[in-house]
Formats: sequence, C-alpha cells, structure tokens
Amino acid sequence: MSYFFQIVVSGIVVGSIYALAALGLVLVYKSSRVANFAHGQIIAAGAFITFFLTVNVGVPILFSFLASMIITFFLAMSVERIFLRRLIGEPIISVIMVTIGLASIIDGLIFITPFGTENFSFPHFLPQTPLSLGGVSISWTQLVGVIITFILIGAFSWFFKKSTIGISMRAVSDDQFGAMSVGISVPRVFGLAWATAGLSAAAAGCIIGNITGLNFETLQAFGIIVFPVVILGGLDSILGAVVAGIIMGLIQQFASGYLDGNFGLNGTGDVMPYIILLIILLFKPHGLFGVHEIERV
Amino acid sequence: MSANSWLATGNFHTTYQQEQKTFFTSLDRSVFSFFLLLLFVWPLLFPLSNKYMLVVDNILVAIVAVMGLNLVTGFAGLISIGHAAFVGIGAYTVASFCRTMGDSHIIVTHFWPVLIVISGLVGAGFGALVGLPALRLKHLYLAIATLSFQMIFQWVINFMSFFNQGQTIHVGRVFWLTGKVGRTDHYFFWYYIILVVVVLLGFGVRNLLKTRYGRCLVAVRDNDRAADAMGMNPGLTKVYAFALAGFFAGVAGALHAYLYRGVGFESFTLHESVSYLAMAIVGGLGTLNGSFWGPVAIKFLDLQVEHLAEIAGQYLPSSMNLATALKPFTFGLVIVLFLMFEPRGIANWWRIAKSYTKLWPFRY
Repeated sequence: MSYFFQIVVSGIVVGSIYALAALGLVLVYKSSRVANFAHGQIIAAGAFITFFLTVNVGVPILFSFLASMIITFFLAMSVERIFLRRLIGEPIISVIMVTIGLASIIDGLIFITPFGTENFSFPHFLPQTPLSLGGVSISWTQLVGVIITFILIGAFSWFFKKSTIGISMRAVSDDQFGAMSVGISVPRVFGLAWATAGLSAAAAGCIIGNITGLNFETLQAFGIIVFPVVILGGLDSILGAVVAGIIMGLIQQFASGYLDGNFGLNGTGDVMPYIILLIILLFKPHGLFGVHEIERV
Repeated sequence: MSANSWLATGNFHTTYQQEQKTFFTSLDRSVFSFFLLLLFVWPLLFPLSNKYMLVVDNILVAIVAVMGLNLVTGFAGLISIGHAAFVGIGAYTVASFCRTMGDSHIIVTHFWPVLIVISGLVGAGFGALVGLPALRLKHLYLAIATLSFQMIFQWVINFMSFFNQGQTIHVGRVFWLTGKVGRTDHYFFWYYIILVVVVLLGFGVRNLLKTRYGRCLVAVRDNDRAADAMGMNPGLTKVYAFALAGFFAGVAGALHAYLYRGVGFESFTLHESVSYLAMAIVGGLGTLNGSFWGPVAIKFLDLQVEHLAEIAGQYLPSSMNLATALKPFTFGLVIVLFLMFEPRGIANWWRIAKSYTKLWPFRY
C-alpha cells in the first residue's frame, strides 16, 4: 500500500510542475490563440539563468529565482514584440512554425553556452534527508517545489480574477473587438500574456532544475509534454491546466509504476500522455474545462 | 491556346482539354525537357565524390517526402507535425522485411521496386489512420494529434525489440540488370532511381491537381463549408489527403532505407518532422515547384553551415561547440525570416522572375 501512496505523492509532485509549465502555454493561447512550441526552451532558459546567477555570480537562490523570472518576463515580451506581433492575423501554420523556428533559435543560443551539452545540478540548500511518513517519503526539494508551485498558481489565479491587467487579458480572450472598444490595447495585452507566460516558465524551470538537475534535453522535453496536459484540461482554461497537470502526473507515475516491466512493457510513462491525448482529441477535443468551439467538418 | 505556341501572353483556353495540358506552350515543354535531360546527364559529366553524391541523393529523398507534406499541408491546409513518422513507417516496412527474411533475401535485393511500392502503401494506410481525427479536428488540434502520432511512433520504435530498439537495421545491397550494385556505384545508382521516382511522382502531383480530387483539396482548404455545400465531402477529402501524404512519405522512407543501406531511429525524430515542414514552407506551401526548392535550400544551407562551423572551429577554443549551436540557430532563423518576410516561399521568387521575363520590357 505504501508503494501506491508513494506513486500518488510523486505523481502529485510531477503533476504540479506540469501544471505550472502548462499555465504559461494556456496564458498565451488564451489571449492570442498562439500555441507556443518554444515553451520548453523558455523553461530551460529560466532554469539556466537561475543556475548562472546562483553558482557563477553568487546571488542567494531566492533572489536569483526572482531575477530569472524578471529576466524571462522581458525576454518573452520582446520575443512577442519582435517576432509574433507581425504575424497577428496570419494563418495558423505560420504562427506555429514561427514558434518552432524560435525554439530552434533559442536551442542554438543555448548550445553556445556550456548548458547545452553538459549536465549541472543546483547546490543543495535544503536538508538532504527525505521527509518520510508511514513509508511514504518525499524529499525536501520536492516538497518546497510543490509548495512554491501552488503558491504561484494561486497568485496567477488571483492575478487573473482581480487585477486590472488580468481582467483585460480575459476580456481580450473573450472578444478582441469588444476589448478594443472599451480601451484595452490588444497588442499590449498579447505582450503581457507572453511576459507572464515567460515568468511562469522560468519558475517552472527553476523548480524542475532543482528536483531533477539541469539537463537541456529533459528541460526542453517539458515544452512538448505540456501539450497533452493543456489538451486534457482544455486549451484555454487555467483551472483545466492545473487539474489536468496533476491528472497527467498521476497517470504517468502510475503507468511507469505499475505497467513497466509487467507485460514486457517499458517506458510507458513517456508514451501514456500521448495516447491519452489522442483519445481525448477523438472524443472530447475541447478537454475537461475548455470552451466548446470545435466544429464538425 | 493562343496563336503563338511559344509564348503565352494570357489565358486563352476555350476547352477543358486545353486547360488539362501539362505544358501550355512549346517553350515550356522544351525548357522542361532540357532541364530534365540536364538532371540525367550531369552526374556523367561531373562525377561527384561519394560524400556530395549522398547529399544530392538526400535532397531527392527529401523532395519526395516534401511533395507529400505539401499535398496535406499546402494544398489541403492540414498541418502535420508527424511527417517524419510516416517516412519512418516506410523505412521500417523495408526494415521489417529485412528482419523477418534476412537482409540479403531475394525479395529485399531483387524485388526492391515492389518493396518501395509496398512501403508507400503501408505509409498510405497509416496516413489514412492518422487522418481520421481530421474528420473532427481542425488547425491546432489536428497539429497536436499528428504530434502525438509522432511521439507514439518514436516510442514504439524505441521499445520494440523487433525494430532493434531503434538501433540500425541493416539493409542488403540491391541487384540491378547488370548485377550487384557495388560500393562505388551505390550513390550514383540511387541518384537515378530516386530521380525517376521524383519525376514520376512530380507528374503525378501535377496531374492530380487538375483532377476533380485535386480541386477538392484546394476547395476544402479555402473554405470547407462552401466545399461541403457544393457537394464535396470534406472529411473524406482530408483523410485521402493524409493517405496520399503517407504514400509519398512511405516511398521516401523506403528510398532512404535503401540509400543508407540501413534504418535507424534517429532519421525519423520530431526534429526531422519539423525540418520537413520548414522545407515545405521555405519552398512555398501549396505550390508544386516549392517542394523542389525547399529541400534544396535547406540541405544546401545545412552543408554551408557545416563548412562555416568547421572553418570557425579552427579559430575558436574547442570547448565552444559551434557546429551544434550554429545548425539549429540558422535553421530557426531561416524559418522565422521566411515566414516574416516571404511567407509564400522561394516559389514566389520563381513566379516573380517568370512573370518579369514574360512581360519584359513592359512592367505589366
């Protein structure tokens, strides 16, 4: 039974990170209808900036965490301003391919630095002994990571519900012309959506980097794995992203915990999200909480 | 047809037969024939080393694959981020023949044209299967569905021991009328085979677009509700488009397998899918000649970047791995620049040049 609960715990840890990573994707999609395929690269960049500031510059980790969030905030904003602002109203294939091209450019920039090829791990700043309770253990890094994740998700939800910028973002996602007519600058909202997405991506990157170590491949893979998560939750629902993130984390952990090695299977955790994605797309394409906008052809 | 059979100054078709013609003017036909002849003759006049012949062959294989991708993404407007998986299915069809019967079995070495067609058909089958979500999904959702197919394909190849866990599966040397194709002639031989395939499939696409079905594709892309109202079946058209793309990709995959004399997992990753898409976009989506320009441009760029990285590597400390950094960087930059400044691709330059020479010395 403790094996079961152990899997539940690790599923929630992984899932909450997925939720945070998916949040950024949902933010961008919700306001500007752009699916950002460069999200994984932004996550990785956030993690690397934090590491650089902590280890090479010597800033305390909390400050470098905040600093990397601020840096990616402006980075993502400028990406939107330079590349995506011109493509407003272009066909969806152009927009998707521009984000893929951006992902490739950021790949190239990261490969110039040592982070692209070598592995690093954050210095330990929390107790090493894992916390265990009735046979279920969780490391301090994971625990703190999950707590920070939930605080951040709470903060983002508050930001969307209450703050003026958040309300204008929701207005833009509801109806662009309506938003314009009440004096909201739609391009500015797009920029801010990208910026907040970058911010949440950096936070996700830091937490992942602390838990798993810094490896470009793993960090970047989060940019692809969030797609099953956001589709499951509904592409334009923040609540959906959080719930689906945790569901996906649990599914993945259960699959690799119970299926691997049993029926001659291996690595099912990696493929399960995509199988679920296909099933969801076939039967309920708007996901759990998404807006019903799919039309039958 | 206009009175002058050498120069067309406008569209003077009076019957449908005239419009169905492949070449509108004699000039068109002679230029094309000359160009085709040149393609067949140049390797005899300027023999390239094996390394560069492989690059040329590679471009031709990519052209076959991109023609398929252009059908589904350019003409039918369905985004496919899983095209490399279809190419992989073609290649692994050949590989599974090699695994079950041995890599030098007579079917693999003597009946390779049949195997190439079979691979195409298997690819078409999978294409239709993956195309089924297109009955319900559009745009981004469809793109993500094809993405998930790509990921599932990668997992299956990596997981199944039948496919050697993604390690290279050897494919034997083929036989031609003159006997076994040896090491020295290998790339030379496959250049001609792939060239013939490209020409055949190119004419196939060209004619397809003048049939009822080809026009259905374009109509469904432009407005599927209007197409539905005019009595076409948009859902079926989309599934057919995926099946056709799968066929082209399957053929490309089989050619790839024979060309490299082996099938490995790393040629069919998500990155390859993205670069097929990039080729289609750089060439020009929704144009036939775009499928030729795109692969040439991207592969040529790759080659040049490699050269540049080699030269720069001599002056820089070895800790900086410039080659791995430059490749994705330039690749991404080219995609982004093309989409921002020339979304219609190189085919558009070709169009502009053609209309300019046609009208010279007048502006319009």
